[in-house]
Amino acid sequence: MKEIIQYIRRKLSVRVSLWVVLFAATIFVLALGFFFYQAREAVRQEAINRATQILNNTSLRAEGILNRVEVASDMTKWLALRHPDQADSMFVYSRSMLQNNPDFYNCSIAFEPDYFKDKGRYFSAYTKHVGDSLRTIQGGSDNYQYFFMDWYLMPLLLDQPCWTEPYMDYDVTTNTSEMVTSYCQALKDHNGKFIGVINTSLSISWLSQTISETKPYPHSYSIMIGRGGTYFVHPDSTKITRQTIFTQSLEHPDTALIALGRAMQRGEEGIKQMNLDGTDCYVFYKPLGKTGCSMAIVCPESDIFGGFDRLRHAVMTIVIIGLLLMLFLFIRIITRELSPLHRLAKEAETIASGQFNAEIPTFERIDEIGQLSQSFAGMQQSLIKYIKELKDTTAQKASIERDLHIASGIQMGMLPENFPTKEDRDDVQLFASLTPAKDVGGDLFDFHFRDDKLFFCIGDVSGKGVPASLFMAVTRAVFRTVSSHESMPDRIMTSINMTMGEMNKTHMFVTLFVGVLDLPTGHLHYCNAGHDAPLLLGTEAHELQCDSNIPVGFMPSWQYSMQETDIPQGTTLFLFTDGLTEAMDINYEQFQMDRVMEVAQQALAQRQLEPKQIISMMTEAVHQFVGDAEQSDDLTMMAIQYNKPQCTFKMQKSITLNNDIQEVPQLTDFVNEVCKSVELDKNTTSQITVAIEEAVVNVMNYAYPAGTQGKVKIEATANDERLKFTISDSGTPFDPTAQAEADITLPANKRSIGGLGIHIVRQTMDTVDYERTGDRNVLTLRKKLNNHS
Amino acid sequence: MQTSILEQDGNMVAILEGRLDAVAAQETEKAMQPLCECEGKDIIIDCTHLEYISSAGLRIFLRILQNAQGKGQQVFIKNINDTVRAVFAMTGFINIFKLI
Repeated sequence: MKEIIQYIRRKLSVRVSLWVVLFAATIFVLALGFFFYQAREAVRQEAINRATQILNNTSLRAEGILNRVEVASDMTKWLALRHPDQADSMFVYSRSMLQNNPDFYNCSIAFEPDYFKDKGRYFSAYTKHVGDSLRTIQGGSDNYQYFFMDWYLMPLLLDQPCWTEPYMDYDVTTNTSEMVTSYCQALKDHNGKFIGVINTSLSISWLSQTISETKPYPHSYSIMIGRGGTYFVHPDSTKITRQTIFTQSLEHPDTALIALGRAMQRGEEGIKQMNLDGTDCYVFYKPLGKTGCSMAIVCPESDIFGGFDRLRHAVMTIVIIGLLLMLFLFIRIITRELSPLHRLAKEAETIASGQFNAEIPTFERIDEIGQLSQSFAGMQQSLIKYIKELKDTTAQKASIERDLHIASGIQMGMLPENFPTKEDRDDVQLFASLTPAKDVGGDLFDFHFRDDKLFFCIGDVSGKGVPASLFMAVTRAVFRTVSSHESMPDRIMTSINMTMGEMNKTHMFVTLFVGVLDLPTGHLHYCNAGHDAPLLLGTEAHELQCDSNIPVGFMPSWQYSMQETDIPQGTTLFLFTDGLTEAMDINYEQFQMDRVMEVAQQALAQRQLEPKQIISMMTEAVHQFVGDAEQSDDLTMMAIQYNKPQCTFKMQKSITLNNDIQEVPQLTDFVNEVCKSVELDKNTTSQITVAIEEAVVNVMNYAYPAGTQGKVKIEATANDERLKFTISDSGTPFDPTAQAEADITLPANKRSIGGLGIHIVRQTMDTVDYERTGDRNVLTLRKKLNNHS
Repeated sequence: MQTSILEQDGNMVAILEGRLDAVAAQETEKAMQPLCECEGKDIIIDCTHLEYISSAGLRIFLRILQNAQGKGQQVFIKNINDTVRAVFAMTGFINIFKLI
């Protein structure tokens, strides 16, 4: 059973066919059921009509026979009573009765004993059919004393003509007996004296045959019962006169049969449906005239509905065979119609297994299957295309990843790798780490030394990934370029901002902190463009005070402000990007500044202030906090520890001049003297002389408005390392280092007169720094001394 | 600072002696004026005795050169010492003047 259900579920054709056939069968059952019911009713009604009609006819015919008997009897009586004294004529009357009515069984005209004196005691003119002829005899004898018979006594006793109950008529001459019923009527002379009886008999078997002659159905039969219920007519002749309709009920109580018997005895007319001798029958019954008999026609249902049932069976057989044929045909047709689907399914499996070039069968059909086939072919083409695209995309992605990997290497390679340690330098140590969140990141840091200064920066480009990394690379490159000649962080920042802002079409920006640490003094100049304020870890940990400047990149005209501070001996400057404060754990909680401060305090307490130590402590703390969460942003940290070099002044001289060029020779003498005291050779002395003259003349010419008097102070100091000139004046703010550089590569006709002075100064001296301190312009020039040792 | 101008072999020759610093430059510029006014002659500036030069002196040289080039004349610098050569080198003047 399970297998069959499984088979049906697997076969669409079988399933669809079953549905259709089931539906058709339902309609057939309903329609045929209704038709059969109606037809059966019609047949039944027809049977009733027919049986009733036949019953009526039969009963009419029986009554006709009986009437004929009565009429013939009346006629004979009339004849007999006209000549009651002529005995021999009685034979004639009796004979003519049967001659006129050949279907009568016998006729006797019997007289009282000794009625005819000459005839002896018995006289009964008795005529009976024997073969084709009639035999008329005198029937009475000592052996047959007729005047004791029922048929003779009944009309006398009842005083009216009557029909007897059937009885055995015994024929002495032939020694045969026949069941008969007789119509008897008394003969009375004109005095009213009873003289005899006319008896006319009908053969019960003949009557039975006559009545049963017309059958509505082949197996239908007639019965007739008398007043007492005795069978007069019955197909089973053994029952006639020997059994009543109730006899059977004595052994097997049958209420229906009893009811039928009673109804027939009462002389009712009707129809009953009942079971007789194991057969379902319709019984139509009707009383039979004055005889007190009742007759019935028993029609088996099988006869009534036989034709109908045959028709029904035939129709049902045709329908069932038709439905089965239909099921078979449907399955065949649908299977044939769907067979392309089977092939398509197989091809789909082939394609699914990766053979995209498998040939799709083409069906020359325009129905849904044809469309499906076309769609399938289209899908295959698309699949081939998409797979190819996917392969290309994957290859491209791999290529991009490879590129990114290389880019990451390049980016990391851009960052300084050699950090000055205690062994390298005694004045400053620096360490930094950058961990991008992706292959490439937007954080940057850089540092380099120039002119006894440490230039450093840390920044964070808005966004992440490749765009940020490009911006980062540019920022770092511009920082390098600008800081290689600019020494003040605000100018460096402004310059970077201008450069970046002009080429920034994507509106990216970078928060940047630029610091310039003067190594001999520990003086820090810094400029913060929207970056996180660094921490200073000295005797205590605190944030470096920072002005609020906008980040670099989106407003080229912004003037950045500079701040300055002194970094005490042994203090560490800790710089970081927001990747540190905003590092997130798996619950998206941020590391926060408080925790940074906590770690810083801890480092301070443990005197772990060396750059490498503090960065590793901070890194560990962040890793512990973040746990398994994915790094959300680039993380960069940089730490700078400053140790002030211990220098001793070897020489200190100063001179103050008026802002008059005529005093330049004094300056020349001063410079010569200074150079001599630090034992410089002639050439170097000359160069320094030119440089100092250029610087001082510049101040004399530009610091004071024309016609105003002013002083220029020149101070020279020297230690073992370097010679320093500090030129200061109280004039209007004037920054010679801000002058445009002279382009020394131009041909003569394009060269300008100005700009040469400061160029010579820069070329000659190692560092040139301008500062406006209070109301004074301070220009510091340094020249490293060749160590003779 | 002493400046003397003379004609020699059809060329204008300026002989500079001493330190050409910012102070001396004013005088020297005036003294060199004839070099700017001459026509059709090449100019030789003899620096054999020039000890020192600053940017103020360089400006005078540049002006003379630009003026001369405008008229198709040539300017030669003669015998510069190491100190002056260093300044010339530093400023790229070494490339725009013809040194002899």
